[in-house]
Amino acid sequence: MQLNRLILTNFKNYEFEQLNFHSGLNCIVGMNGMGKTNLLDAIYYACMGKSYFGINDRDIVRHETDFFRLEAHFERLEKAESIVVKVMPRKKKVLERNDLPYAKISEHVGLLPVVIIVPDDTLIATEGSEVRRRFLDNTLSQIDQQYLKTLLKYNHILKQRNAALKQFGEHRKADPALLKIYNDQLLEPGETLHQKRAAFIAEFGPELAKTYLIISGEKEKVSCKYQSALTDQKFGDLLSAAQEKDLILQRTTIGPHRDDLNFQIQGRALKRFASQGQLKSFILSLKLAQYSVLKMKKKMAPILLLDDIFDKLDNERIKHLIQLLIKGDFGQIFITDTHKDRVSEIVTQSGADNQQFFIESGTVQSIQ
Amino acid sequence: MNFSSKLIEEAVDAFSSLPSVGKKTALRLVLHLIKREPEVSTQFAEAIINLRKNIKNCQICHNFSDEEVCVICKDKRRDRSIICVVEGIRDVMAIEDTGHYKGLYHILGGVISPIEGVGPNELNITTLQHRLEDGQIREIIMALSPTIEGDTTIFYISKQLEGLDIKISTIARGVSFGGELEYADELTLGRSIISRIPYRRD
Repeated sequence: MQLNRLILTNFKNYEFEQLNFHSGLNCIVGMNGMGKTNLLDAIYYACMGKSYFGINDRDIVRHETDFFRLEAHFERLEKAESIVVKVMPRKKKVLERNDLPYAKISEHVGLLPVVIIVPDDTLIATEGSEVRRRFLDNTLSQIDQQYLKTLLKYNHILKQRNAALKQFGEHRKADPALLKIYNDQLLEPGETLHQKRAAFIAEFGPELAKTYLIISGEKEKVSCKYQSALTDQKFGDLLSAAQEKDLILQRTTIGPHRDDLNFQIQGRALKRFASQGQLKSFILSLKLAQYSVLKMKKKMAPILLLDDIFDKLDNERIKHLIQLLIKGDFGQIFITDTHKDRVSEIVTQSGADNQQFFIESGTVQSIQ
Repeated sequence: MNFSSKLIEEAVDAFSSLPSVGKKTALRLVLHLIKREPEVSTQFAEAIINLRKNIKNCQICHNFSDEEVCVICKDKRRDRSIICVVEGIRDVMAIEDTGHYKGLYHILGGVISPIEGVGPNELNITTLQHRLEDGQIREIIMALSPTIEGDTTIFYISKQLEGLDIKISTIARGVSFGGELEYADELTLGRSIISRIPYRRD
């Protein structure tokens, strides 16, 4: 699968820009704040129907304009796929696939698999459980359309249950019958999420360990364990047991929305014991393992977006990484770098076929 | 919009305060009324005043009604052993238009949705329970939207009615008439397969 052509109108700092991409390696260079990350986010947006950074559609619209348009022409399983996103004021956002609008944006997820790696991804290891669930949900949603539907359903019921708990608190009177119904409604989607997550981690864990060995070139072992209250107990029993606590705290305190991933290095918590370098290698491995699993499940190579991954790496490590990317079984790759000559030199030395772009204040120049 | 007349401006403001009427549509309506005889406007205004003054909720089913009890609840020819539970009057009208239902109705006034501030107490559930007390009702049909909130409401009501000797059914969900299978969404089609019905040979 590959992106051949991208047309941006009023997307972040791009007023109007048309780009034609290489089927292999695309290197995007430019100074800080020129729009390299925005370009990668535009590609991510075309694949997933939203920004990777959780940016509001209204804030994606270029300063002092009121709409944006994103047009992306892909080639997927030897067929052309054109994706258009239109965001206009006072109108619902429109996402079209080959001129047909989707009824729900979520239906688009999984059609065009994508993996993005950005410097802030180290937060996946260091921040709270929410970012790890987001990683898990992002991957599973791309693999399994049914998973995303179940997740949306679960979250919807959960929101109603929490709103009900809040109302009980305000009125100082609980309705146990209503609560029981929300419990029953949560069971099926909740247990499905748990099963699918557990099955996924069973496959993903070994892939992650394998990738880390290749990336770091060291003998350290990393692991990824799925932590969920539903592993040992039935969801229904957990909800009943937590009822009193839920009523006091006015929110649902147990369930798959509290799941976590436990990352370890040499049997110890990654968060506390990994060095900066190990952390960086770990995140890179996590994302590349995500890439492998997606590729295997989707039976096509996802698009790989690498934002500023050479930051803080010495030239030797960069060379090692580029070699890995070129020799590895990747499809289309987009790399950004602030250093104009660094990437081009290393890439040219490696002899890989590529296209280079130079970005300055939202305008892009292809370099021959 | 700049109006040459204060009177027109006031009338436009009144019309455009209605849902899905914008300023331009409102102006068109106002100019239309000015063009017609004064009686047309008088009748129009009287219809609104009459409506607001005299519209009632049926004491039995909560449907809008001209009298204390609505025409459907009064109708002696209707099947008084079956009640169809709906969200609002528009559902009543839709079901009446099918011509396939001859029983009574009960209007809930919404579905349970705590996010919108609607709990069971905001709905007409207690009055439904009262209607079942005399034992004449044999069946209740839940005709609510196939949403999570609709499901919650159906579960809730059926729990409240536990122990009563009353059949509770819901309207069928599945592939629509005239719809082609390949265009049905997965969820609907999947449900239709699971809740398939025996084929009748007659």
